Parts: sequence; C-alpha cells; structure tokens
Amino acid sequence: TTDNQNHPPIFELKAELNSDKKEKKKEAVKKVIASMTVGKDVSALFPDVVNCMQTDNLELKKLVYLYLMNYAKSQPDMAIMAVNTFVKDCEDPNPLIRALAVRTMGCIRVDKITEYLCEPLRKCLKDEDPYVRKTAAVCVAKLHDINAQLVEDQGFLDTLKDLISDSNPMVVANAVAALSEIAESHPNSNLLDLNPQTINKLLTALNECTEWGQIFILDCLANYTPRDDRESQSICERVTPRLSHANSAVVLSAVKVLMKFMEMLPKDLDYYGTLLKKLAPPLVTLLSAEPELQYVALRNINLIVQRRPEILKHEMKVFFVKYNDPIYVKLEKLDIMIRLASQANIAQVLAELKEYATEVDVDFVRKAVRAIGRCAIKVEQSAERCVSTLLDLIQTKVNYVVQEAIVVIKDIFRKYPNKYESVIATLCENLDSLDEPEARAAMIWIVGEYAERIDNADELLESFLEGFHDESTQVQLQLLTAIVKLFLKKPTETQELVQQVLSLATQDSDNPDLRDRGYIYWRLLSTDPVAAKEVVLAEKPLISEETDLIEPTLLEELICHIGTLASVYHKPPSAFVEGSRGVQHKRIPGNLGSGESVESPDNGSAAGVTEAPPAVIPSQGDLLGDLLNLDLTPPTTTGPPPISSGMQMGAMDLLGGGLDSLVGLRHNTERSFRSPSPPDYSPTEVGPGGHMGAGFGAPPAVMPASFNAPVSVGLDDLFDLGGGVGMPMGAFNPPKTVWLPAMKAKGLEISGTFVRRAGVIQMEMNLTNKAMSVMTDFAIQFNRNSFGLASAGPLQILTPLSPNQSIEAALPLSTVGPVMKMEPLNNLQVAVKNNIDVFYFSCQYPISMLFVEDGKMERQVFLATWKDIPNDNESQFQIKDCHLNSDAASNKLQSSNIFTIAKRTVEGQDMLYQSMKLTNGIWVLAELRVQAGNPNYTTILKSKQRITSLIIIHTVSERPFCTNWNLICYIL
Amino acid sequence: MISQVFILSSQGDHLIYKDFRGEAGSDVVSVFYEKVTALTGDQPPVVMSHGDLHFVHVRQGGLYWVATTTSPGSSPFTIIEFLNRFSALVKDYCGSLSEKSVQMNFALIYELLDEVVDYGYIQTTSSDVLKNFIQTEAVSSKPFSLFDLSNVGFFGAETQQSKVAPSSAASRPIQSSREQGGRSEIFLDVIERMSVVIGSKGVVLKADVEGEVRVKCFMPSCSEMRIGLNEEFSIGKSQLRGYGAAVRVDECRFHQNVHLDEFHSNRVLRLCPSQGEQTVMQYQLSDDLPSAPPFRLFPTIERDSGGRLLMYLKLRCDLPSKSAAINVCATIPVPKGSVSLSQELSSPDQSAELKLQNRAIDWKIPRFIGGTQLSALFKLEVSGLSPSSLMEVGPVVLVFELPQLTVSGLQIRFLRLSPVQPAPSQRWIRYVTHSDSYILRL
Repeated sequence: TTDNQNHPPIFELKAELNSDKKEKKKEAVKKVIASMTVGKDVSALFPDVVNCMQTDNLELKKLVYLYLMNYAKSQPDMAIMAVNTFVKDCEDPNPLIRALAVRTMGCIRVDKITEYLCEPLRKCLKDEDPYVRKTAAVCVAKLHDINAQLVEDQGFLDTLKDLISDSNPMVVANAVAALSEIAESHPNSNLLDLNPQTINKLLTALNECTEWGQIFILDCLANYTPRDDRESQSICERVTPRLSHANSAVVLSAVKVLMKFMEMLPKDLDYYGTLLKKLAPPLVTLLSAEPELQYVALRNINLIVQRRPEILKHEMKVFFVKYNDPIYVKLEKLDIMIRLASQANIAQVLAELKEYATEVDVDFVRKAVRAIGRCAIKVEQSAERCVSTLLDLIQTKVNYVVQEAIVVIKDIFRKYPNKYESVIATLCENLDSLDEPEARAAMIWIVGEYAERIDNADELLESFLEGFHDESTQVQLQLLTAIVKLFLKKPTETQELVQQVLSLATQDSDNPDLRDRGYIYWRLLSTDPVAAKEVVLAEKPLISEETDLIEPTLLEELICHIGTLASVYHKPPSAFVEGSRGVQHKRIPGNLGSGESVESPDNGSAAGVTEAPPAVIPSQGDLLGDLLNLDLTPPTTTGPPPISSGMQMGAMDLLGGGLDSLVGLRHNTERSFRSPSPPDYSPTEVGPGGHMGAGFGAPPAVMPASFNAPVSVGLDDLFDLGGGVGMPMGAFNPPKTVWLPAMKAKGLEISGTFVRRAGVIQMEMNLTNKAMSVMTDFAIQFNRNSFGLASAGPLQILTPLSPNQSIEAALPLSTVGPVMKMEPLNNLQVAVKNNIDVFYFSCQYPISMLFVEDGKMERQVFLATWKDIPNDNESQFQIKDCHLNSDAASNKLQSSNIFTIAKRTVEGQDMLYQSMKLTNGIWVLAELRVQAGNPNYTTILKSKQRITSLIIIHTVSERPFCTNWNLICYIL
Repeated sequence: MISQVFILSSQGDHLIYKDFRGEAGSDVVSVFYEKVTALTGDQPPVVMSHGDLHFVHVRQGGLYWVATTTSPGSSPFTIIEFLNRFSALVKDYCGSLSEKSVQMNFALIYELLDEVVDYGYIQTTSSDVLKNFIQTEAVSSKPFSLFDLSNVGFFGAETQQSKVAPSSAASRPIQSSREQGGRSEIFLDVIERMSVVIGSKGVVLKADVEGEVRVKCFMPSCSEMRIGLNEEFSIGKSQLRGYGAAVRVDECRFHQNVHLDEFHSNRVLRLCPSQGEQTVMQYQLSDDLPSAPPFRLFPTIERDSGGRLLMYLKLRCDLPSKSAAINVCATIPVPKGSVSLSQELSSPDQSAELKLQNRAIDWKIPRFIGGTQLSALFKLEVSGLSPSSLMEVGPVVLVFELPQLTVSGLQIRFLRLSPVQPAPSQRWIRYVTHSDSYILRL
C-alpha cells in the first residue's frame, strides 16, 4: 500500500494532472516524477504533463521540464507540442525563466526541435543577464552534439568564442568548457585559438571564477604550449596561487599545468627551484582527505615522483601508513616510499618497513617484505641492514613472510654476488616450510648457485626431486638448472642425480619447455663439458636497481593527464576508450619543439594497449642469460627476450660445437650415463665407452628434424592433415588436460579445455569425484589475468557429485574482468570451491580463443596499417612440415578467426595477408608465405602497437620449441 | 564531464536518477550496484569501469552518491569533490541525510541537480548562489523543536561526543530559518586530528596534526562575520620564533569566501557566511608540535614460567592536569594462538577484553585525566608460544578524544557578527582533538 501511495496508478495520476487546482497539479507532477525515478514507465502521461507547462509557477514549470527531458526522446512528435512554450519562455522578463527554457530545450535531444531552438539561443547568447548567457553557452555544446553542422552554419561557434572575453567569469568558464569539448571532436580546427591574448583573458577570469570554473580554465590552459620559457614562467606564476585552494580538484588541475609547463623551464633558473618547493605542500595536503581522494592523489603522486622525485624527496614521512588506512591506500603508499627511498632516508624507511612486515594483513605484509628487498637493491649502503632485517623476519617463521623474504634475498644475491652467502644456512633451515612455487624456485636457485658452499646441496636438491612431477613448471625448470650447476661443480658425487633429473625432464615430462631445456643441457654435457661449464656457470648480468617504473614515453603522456581517469588507471586514455571519440595523445611540450602539443587523433579501432613494456632490466639478448635467468628476473620486469629463431640458432651452434673436447671431467668419471630414447626422438644409444662424454652420446645427426618434431605435432592439430581439403572444419579445440589432480584437491579431479563457440569463450570441464563422500556447492572464480577473462555466470553444477561420478560443465566466459599481466601471458589462475574446501590451480588457454569474429580488417585499412607499422614491430617465424596448400591453410585458419584479407602469388610463392583481432581490441596483421612443394612456411607478424609484437615475441621465445597451440597461433 | 548522477540506498533502491548527456541508460544503475557490492576490501572503490562508462562514487549518510562519465579527460578528483559538496548541499537543504529525507525531498534534489550541473559541467555548489534559484521547500523528515537535544555532534568530526550544545541545528534545513524566524544560531568548531607514531624507544617518529575551522550558520541577517585567531598565529616552517608560545602551522588553506585583508596584520578572518555548513579554514602541522604527544606507553613484555605471555603496560597521559581525554581505547595486537586473557587494571572504570576475531586486546578507559598514569597487567594464554610470538605483539593503536583542546594551540579570540544581531542569538565555539592514527610501537 505504501507503494500505491507513492506511485499511484496511471489513471489516477491522469485525473490529478487535469485538476483545476494548482497545488493538486503540482503534487501530481511530483508523483509522476517519483514513479519515473524508480523506473516506472509514465510516458503515457506525456500530453497531460505538457498541458501543465504553461504556468507562472516556477516550481511547477521546473517539474514539468524535468519530465520533458526524460521522455521527449521517446515521444518526439509530442515534444514538438512543447516548443511554443519554450520559445515564449525565452522571451520572458524573468531571467530565471529564460535560462530555464534554453537549458531545457537543449536537453531535449530531438532533432526536429533544433531548428526552433536556434533563434531563442541566439538571443540568449547575447542576453543582458549573465545567468542566461552562461546557460546559453552550455546549450551550444548540447546543440553541437545533436547537430554539429547546424551549429557551425548558424555561427554559434564564433559567438561562443566571443564569450571568452565576457565580463562575467562564470560565462567565460562555461564558454571555455563548451569550446574545449567541441574542439575535441574537431582536433584540427583552430577552435580554441589559444594565443597569448586569450591566455591572458583566461588567467584573469581564473582569479574571479567559481572553483568549478577554475577547473575548466586550468584544464584548458594545460593544452596550451607556451612560446618560450618566459611565457611559461609567467603563466606558472599566475597559476601558483591556485595551489592553496581549498578545493583539491582545483589544486590537482593547477599541479597538472605546472608539471607540464615546468618542462620548458631551464633547470638552472632560480624560479625552477622555487616552483619545485611550492609543489610539495599542496601535494602533501591532498593526503589529508578521505581515503577515496587519498587514493586518487597517491596514484597521481606516484606519477609525479617518477617524473620529478626531487619535489617530494623530503616528504617521506607523509607516506608512512596509518593503521586505519584502507589496504589499497597502504599499498600505494608503500610503492611511493620505495620510489623516494635514498641513502639519506633509508634508515627511516627500513624501520617502517620492518614494522609493516609484522602487521596482520597478508597482502600488505608481503609487499612490505618485498619492499625491503627493493631497498637493498636500490640503496647499496643499506643492503646489509636489509639482509639482517630479512633474517629477523625469517625467524618469525610466519610462513608467507619467510617465503617472500627468500624470494627477495635471491634478488639481493643477484645484485651483490658473493657478499651475503653467510645467510644461506639460515635459509636452508626453512626449506621444508616453503610451499609457494616462487619461493621454492628461489630457494632452489640459491642452492644451485652456491652449491659448492653448501655441504649437503645434493641432499637438499634430491629431496625436491622426489615430488618432481607435482611441482610447478617454474620449480621444475629451476631444479633442472640447479642440479646441472651442482653437477658441474661437484661432478663426482652427483652423477646419479643429474642423470635422474635429465631423465625426469626429458622422458617423463610432457612440458615442452622442460623437455627442451633438458635436452639442451644433456647435449651440452655430452658434447663439451667445458663449454657446458662456461655456459651454465657463466657470469650473470646484474639486475637493475629500479623496478616497476613506468616506461618514459607513457609516463610523459600520463603526466599530461594528471588528475584524469588515466592517472588513476595508469594507462593512456587510448587503452580504455573505444569507439569514435577522438583520443588525443598528449605530449609534454618541451619535447616537441615544434609548438604543437596535440597529435592527430588515434584511430579508435587500433586502441588497446594495456601494458607498457618496462624497459628497465637490461635485455637478456643471449641464450646464456636466457637459459639461466629467464625465470629468475623479478616477476614485474621482463625485458624483450630474443626471438625464437635466434634461440634455435644459438642452440644449434652450441650443439654442433667441438665433439671431442672432453677434458677434465672425463677423467673423473667412472660410470657411464644411459641416454634416454624418447619415442619422438632419434635413438642416441650409448656406446660402450666408460667415459662420461661418450656416455652422453654424440649429438644426433637428425637434430634439426627432431627439433621440428614438436612443431609438426602442433601443425597436425591445426591443419588436420587427414581432412586437409578446403572445408571449414571449426575452430581448433585442444583436448582436455588435467588441471587439478585429485590428490591435490581432496579427491576432486578437474580436467578441461577452452573452446570458442559462436563468439563465446567457454571453459569446458570434467569434474570427477575420486573421494569417498559426496561433493556439493561448487563455485568458481578467476584471478585477474592478462585478457580480463571472467566467468560470465555461475558454475552450473546443480546435482551433488557422488563418489566416482563425473560431470561435465561448461562455463561461459567474458573478457570484461579486471586485467593484470600474467606470466606466461595466457596463464589463468582459478579457484574452485566445493563443500570440502577451496582449491587453486592454474591453466593456460589457447590465445586463439581470444581471436574475435570481427577480426577481418578492411582491405584498405589493412594496406594502410601494414605500411604504417615500423619494421621494429615485425617478427618472422618458420612453420615447418606443413603439407597443406595455401587455400586449405587459409580455410583452416579462418575457422579460428584468422582471416585472409588478400592473396598474392609471386614466383610460385603464395602470400596470404591475414588479420586477427584480440578481445581487448589489439589487431595483429600477418603475412604467410607458402611455397608450393615446400613444407616449410614463413610468416611475418606485425602489429601497430609495438607492445603486441613484444608480447608475441615474448610468448614465442619463452617457449621456444613448444608444441603448444599458442605458438602456432602466434606463428600464424 | 559528468554523464549521470544517481543516489542509491544501501539496499540499491533508486532514490534519484538524473541523466545529463544521454550517453548511457538507466540500466547502468544496477550495474553499478552489482559492482560495488562485489568489491572486496582490498580493491580501491574509487573508480570502476563498465565498458566506456566509469563510475565514481562516495558514501554519505549511508547512501551511494554516484556519478558516471564517459570522457577519459574527466577528473575523478573533481567528481569526488563534487559528490561530497553535493551531498553536503542536500544535507543543508533537507536537514539530514537519510534514505527517507532524500525520498521525501526528491523534487528539491532534482531542482538542485539542475542548477548544480548542466550538461555534465559543474556550475556551482554554493548555497548562497543557489538560494536565488531554488523554489521547492524542504520537507523535514521529523518535526524539529528548539528543545530537541539530540543529534548535535560536531560537524565533520566523527566523535562519540554528542551532547555538547543544546541545539537542533545539526538537523535543521537551512531554508527554514528564513521563514520560521527560528532562533539565530552560529556554530564555530575547531577540529583537529592527530597522527602520531612513537617508536619502541619512546622516540616520536612522526606527529602530524590536521585541523579545520568549520562554521554552521543559521543567521539570515548576518552579512559579515569576523573570526579572530591567536595573535601569534603563524604559517610556514621557515619563520623564526621567539620564546613565546607561538601557534604555528605549516600550511593553511582558506575558503574562497574568506577575506584575508585583516589576516596578515591582526589574524582576523573576515567572511560573509553562507547559510549552512562550510569549512572556513584547513591547516596542517607536521613533526613540530608545540607540546609533547598526549600519551606515552611503557611496556614490559615477557614469557612467564608457565608459558604465558605477560604484558605489563603503563600508559601515561601528558595533557595538562586540568584537561582530560575521553573514550580512550588502546588496541594491542596479540600473537596468533592466543586463547584467553586474565587482567589486572589499575582502576575499576577501565575494562579490557580479548577480541579473538581481531587478534587483539581492547583496553578501554572512559576518562583519562592529564598528568596521571594508568597501568594494566595482561596475562595471555597462548598455544604454541615461541620467541618469535613476541614479534607479533603490537603496535598499540590508541583512539581517543580530547574535548576543549587543540594540540596546535589554535584558539578563537573572538567571533563578531555584523550588523549587530538582534537578540536572541547564540554563538557556540567548540574545540575538539581526536586521534586519526595514534601508534605506539613496542
């Protein structure tokens, strides 16, 4: 009944609206609006409400207008009924009514109304009352959105430009806001003709405007490029007083202007130093706001600190966390603390970090421990203190603290080799408690690296070997490398161990990375132990000091976007804006020289860079670095790894090297190794010789073929040699694999795969209950991942799963979830819950799943884009042993949403030009060369965003010889 | 540019929905509610995106105040500030913020919104400007009476102190004063928040004060107000001080309406007060407080022979003896595995409780007089007590209020109104300092 009181039925309202009594009418319109607000459709009352419009009661008129704005769009013909009243109201002696009419008319987004709007608008733009003028200025922007041509034809833009010189600052501010918005859709027009005169007008209005008007003006100023450093300085001087404004949005807009214009000032100028000093207090003040504002402020300060650390170098203390800060504020503060850490304040920082490391929040504690490691690496003088702090923390035996500490200590060892090895004994004591792959891998690395100093290194490593197949890939790879290192350092005692790990890696593993690495080591050891020693125990490149830095050009762009959404996301606007809205890449003026601050707008369709390549760690461009360190760099940093072909070449050279240089080691060895004979591998049966080198067997003559073998397996999947005619055969769907073995999940086994059906990505799973009791209440959730995959609905398992029963479940996925770059890129971490517990596993999805159906690029666009892409963004690959002709290949690929745009035949070689588009909007272009009779294809990949190519190269080289479908997709 | 503004109840009911630019439909309201209720504690709630649309929201009065935008150049900062101002306006106009008051005054709120934002451009949030345009009368959710003594907490201060001044000002709509000829009243509150970190050796590692002077005015006839601060008040770090007890702050910000012509000579703020609530001045002071932090802790922590954890805590209040802290609560984190607590407290009004859920002891002291010292002996039963368990104890967090006191020393010398107000008019000047984050490390 309450609902009926508030929202009476339509017929009742209709009667009330037509009442003679003004009060009753007003109440009725109010009820109509109340119903409208809660989402009821009251559009049927349109004529009745419009009838109430002609009234001298301002309150009633406003209510009617409110209704009109909401429903006019759906009832355009009826809306015309209201026009006369609007036109009349625009002539009313009361400025409030004139303004109200022009404001409302602009909000009625009906094209037919616009022609009636022009004359009243023209008058109102020149109205004597500033309230009417400021409303009319906004109305021009409204009209422009409905009919841009009309606005230009009617000369409204010129009138708007004149309003920049208006005597009333509110009018100026609205004119500036309207012009700025209109200019965005005409990037090349000279609409906002910013010259020293207009700038001067704006600066004058700035002092008199309301706080919100000041923001418009400051944001507009930020787009201006001063002619020289003197002009720059004079603008800065006039903007600086805004820094002490009570409205923090004004402050931040002023900071943006100053940060940008500062770039133009010579650093030796006294004023430059003065300005730097003036920027610190307002930034500090921003941190006294509510947590939401603090968070936004911190995200911005994070950018500012990276660009100009000197501004806040004395303000470390304000970033110390408060116990009652929300966790997201704490994490941001921590990040900034590390950026500001220097020799001068390191003692203070460390004392804080140590306190944080004993708090209760796990995420925060982990980050604090990591931060201690970063301090050690950044400030050499503090390394010793950091290490001893970390050792104290290890003593707490708090599991996750110990694991984080070991991970960072490994980095410290990398940075300062042979300095802190005395702590190894303490680390070894904690071996048993490590259950996270990253920590296990780090510990194993340490044991392998310092094997000669750890008496029982072989025992330690052997203990890991027992559960080899249950370890994650990261740990397996690390264990393999560590044992090889151990063997090279202590060959006599560890032959059995190395034999064991090599055979585990090459024979019993179906992980291609692991197998390949195993084979490489095997051949190295068998071919040339001296070379092996040089390779495996080579000196490693030092890790760099700063991590997590934003790439400089991106940082520059983000500095120009201080205060905006981009500064909170730490992504350029092009990464989160789709569609036709012009996105302008902003640049800091000092770096352009030409005086142009705005580039032509980016084509919306090509937008979508989400992550910048952090070019910080020196690239590990050689095989050695790669083999030894690929898994060891801190997870947040990845230099561009070498491309796949280089990798193959390197491997070939090494393996083809001196067969007979079996020195040293050979004589120490008594027993022979038996080499494995994997089924897909040519037999390298061991000769009778008792020496180690011979025991490893000679490098097989069929080497190249054997390296190709895995690739051709992949091609079998793709090209389906059996049915290799030009028929579409449906997208490639990899077979199900076991993701979660029953022994790790209290009896629940999950195997699964990913498919793309009719544009929908699905995760298809088989759940098997291998436990003794019934399982119910299944639910699933994903961690953040590279492409924002998220479940689009709940996991549909409605019946309880009895023991020994299996059930199939298909989970539709969306790609609008939160994004975080994963290693490898296509890694997906999944949590599955049932009535027993929560289980975690990770799996990898084929990238092909992400190729969308509308990935066919226009021919012309393709041509232009292809030409546009610099050679740097290009990578070339070979696909071997493929026996399809080009048409069949093209058909086959099309079913996986890799579209052939054009085909060209040159000297018997078919060249297919192809495009594909990822769910996040990244386009990839490819050229596939097929020579008749040659089973080897060549493909060239290009993408507008260099980052894409990097991702591709990255993925390819990280799994250099893999059978993985991803590789094939990428190669194509 | 703001695309839409809407207000939701905590259950997700649509109370107000206004579309300014026709860029998205009203269906996004539900999308927002789903997103915001699915947030976990460690995800920043500030900006959430849905395709091209970005949501920015604040919570005030138990309601969600949400704005959406599609333009990448929009400033979340501006939008958050705006939403806070807008909710303050609604509070000023409706008297209080609640689901009910918003529902009852929806027509007024729509009218406000129309004046405050046009086509997504923020126009003004000043109640002085708006009073020229707003027609709708507020409907008060409860009839107020001048003798209603409830709900008169400090404006803007989250204190538990309630009955400070006998007035109903806090829940009165600003418009009512002009018609109802109600009593003219003005409130001037000086509120300071302290953030202090004291290290394990008793060294003050950090001591910050953030303060503000707020005015809530119900004096329609008042055209000018003069607020006199301490004469020796100074701003900035570099200024030299003599031996006098100068009052100093590092940084100071004033409301746009404040005239500073008399400030430099006489430390007088001159302003034309708007009806309703406003922050006249904000200031902050770091590290160099005029007096010692109000609390110090002297802990002794050890394991006894029976494997229990003994904590002997002496807490000293260094306020002047005529002052007192109230509602003091010390939270002491304890090791995991803590099972039970026995306690000896130095006076009967104190209490202590082991909160297993938070893994902490809450030690409560209702009133703590300056210059005195209290002590507590806690014996904690901990299963699996180890030497490293001691590291899990602490840091101690103190929450408290210091009524009638500013740690910066800021005082209001006088509050003069002109033209001279015809009686009866009431002027309230109130001071309070409360803890923001007061940490004592062990």
